Amino acid sequence: MARNQATVLVIDDEAQIRRFLRAGFELEKFSVTEADSAESGLRAATLQPADLIVVDLGLPDGDGATVVERVRSWSAVPIIVLSVRANEAEKVRLLELGADDYVVKPFGMAELLARARAALRRHRAPGDMQPSVRVGPLTIDLSARAVTLDDVRVPLSPKEYRLLQVLAQHAGNVVTHQHLLREVWGARHIEDTHYLRIFVRKLRRKIEADPTRPRILLTELGVGYRLAQGAEAPVPA
Amino acid sequence: MREFFQGRWIGSGDIPPNEMLAAGAIALVLIAVLTAGLAAASMVANVDHVTSIYLIPVLVAAIRGGVAPAVVAAAAGIGAAAFFFYAPVHDFRVQNTLHIVDLVLFVAVAAVIGRIATNLRRARMREAADRLREALIGSVSHELRTPLTAIVGSASVLAQAPQVERDPRLGPLVAGLREEAERLDAHIQNLLDATSISSEGVRPQIEWIDPADVINAAIERKRTLLEGRPLAVKLAGDPPLVRVDAGLIERALSQVIENAVKYSPAGSPIEIAVERDGDRVRIEVRDRGAGLTAAERERIWERFYRGPRHRDTVAGSGLGLWVAHGLVTACGGAIAAESEGPERGTCIAVHLPAPPYQGAARISETLSETSDETNG
Repeated sequence: MARNQATVLVIDDEAQIRRFLRAGFELEKFSVTEADSAESGLRAATLQPADLIVVDLGLPDGDGATVVERVRSWSAVPIIVLSVRANEAEKVRLLELGADDYVVKPFGMAELLARARAALRRHRAPGDMQPSVRVGPLTIDLSARAVTLDDVRVPLSPKEYRLLQVLAQHAGNVVTHQHLLREVWGARHIEDTHYLRIFVRKLRRKIEADPTRPRILLTELGVGYRLAQGAEAPVPA
Repeated sequence: MREFFQGRWIGSGDIPPNEMLAAGAIALVLIAVLTAGLAAASMVANVDHVTSIYLIPVLVAAIRGGVAPAVVAAAAGIGAAAFFFYAPVHDFRVQNTLHIVDLVLFVAVAAVIGRIATNLRRARMREAADRLREALIGSVSHELRTPLTAIVGSASVLAQAPQVERDPRLGPLVAGLREEAERLDAHIQNLLDATSISSEGVRPQIEWIDPADVINAAIERKRTLLEGRPLAVKLAGDPPLVRVDAGLIERALSQVIENAVKYSPAGSPIEIAVERDGDRVRIEVRDRGAGLTAAERERIWERFYRGPRHRDTVAGSGLGLWVAHGLVTACGGAIAAESEGPERGTCIAVHLPAPPYQGAARISETLSETSDETNG
């Protein structure tokens, strides 16, 4: 498959972390290049454009945000950030700068690979090119603008559909509150997270088997929402 | 270790004696210089009401050394003015009423200046302590988490290697490696939270959040611990959104859940219930375990407190509930323990602020099914 020849550029100053990332990606048939600083990372990204960039938030010569910002000025390559816990504001900032997703240290390789694959998939079939997105029993048909649950049509308001559409376009990756508010309600409502919270609660009642223990429309505390990925959608507990 | 958490380990505002001495000395030198200058000036011009000049050394002493040097500087200033400038000269007595008023005013102004300067100094030291704490927490967090990230990541890669996956002895070993490293990470977070609480450095990022989301995140974080436990989450009606720092409350609830599991028999159920309670939301975590004696209920929120019944049988640091209490109160919430007695289960109730939404009517309009136009 084409995605198995993908190249990934790993930018992290810790040799041991680079080592396991290389092993993890190579086991999944990615080819890996490494950089140990923001500067060498940016140089590598320019000289040998990669299909995916994994960058640590804290680098000795400038933070991951600089790398994200500089790369985004000339490339749409998927970027996954390695972040630390309890730093939600920083995660939001990186996502707004153009990072595709993040994992929180310490993390397992499966989690990083899932985020990376979701970002790669979207990058290869941008926007409306993806005809439909499946998450467990839910299908979001982007071309027909229809949502079905176990093949039964779910009646949705235009805003509810719009919210699912934005999440489906980023299936498997996080979408920030600000992004969702801007896309669904408009820029004036970017601070009104309580709209979004109540709205999501209502939407979950329509699409989740147990709306209080969601498996499809997941919350990322302090950051945003994520549509679970089809392949990894966990079975209900 | 305990001193580390006593709360005063960084800059409490106390000034070391050598700094106070230095400040006093600088003020006295300044007074001598000013006096000489004024004496020289008095030869060519009429110098009167000199006390305002002596406020300068008081200010310097107060900023550098706090209250004590400021008092010394003020006394020396009064002395110098009375002795050299106020009649009768070269005598500490002061006869002119205006000069007496001068001196009284001087004392009053010096006291005010001293107070302001001391507060300013304290604020500056607190800021420095804040910065130091942030740097310390940041570097401890980085130094400890970097190796943990390598361990967890490497274990996760190993776990997927076919040789390990197939071997019934190696598989669980590698899974255990990862779980233990993750447990260690939770302990590190706990210690960092304890440090923040001790030094009053918790800075909540308040936002609107669905209480169910926070509870689910806490359950997810403790999923390994909760394995084999029947877990029921009951939401009464439609609990309102709460206004808290979601991350802090998630960590507090994780602690409470962990405690419920630790002090109840294996396989016994844990129940979580959420309900509206006036302008608050009550989240309770109930177990069917060891319960609390009256003495335990009183002391359960103390730092390092371990109940005598469990001290030797259940591992723990006595920090968990204290941290939970600190995190919840930092978000404007409250936490309380209820128990009908020993062996009759414990219920920890967390109350979180749920103020009414601004423009609630507008929200329901915006959210309504039929209307697709937002209403500004």
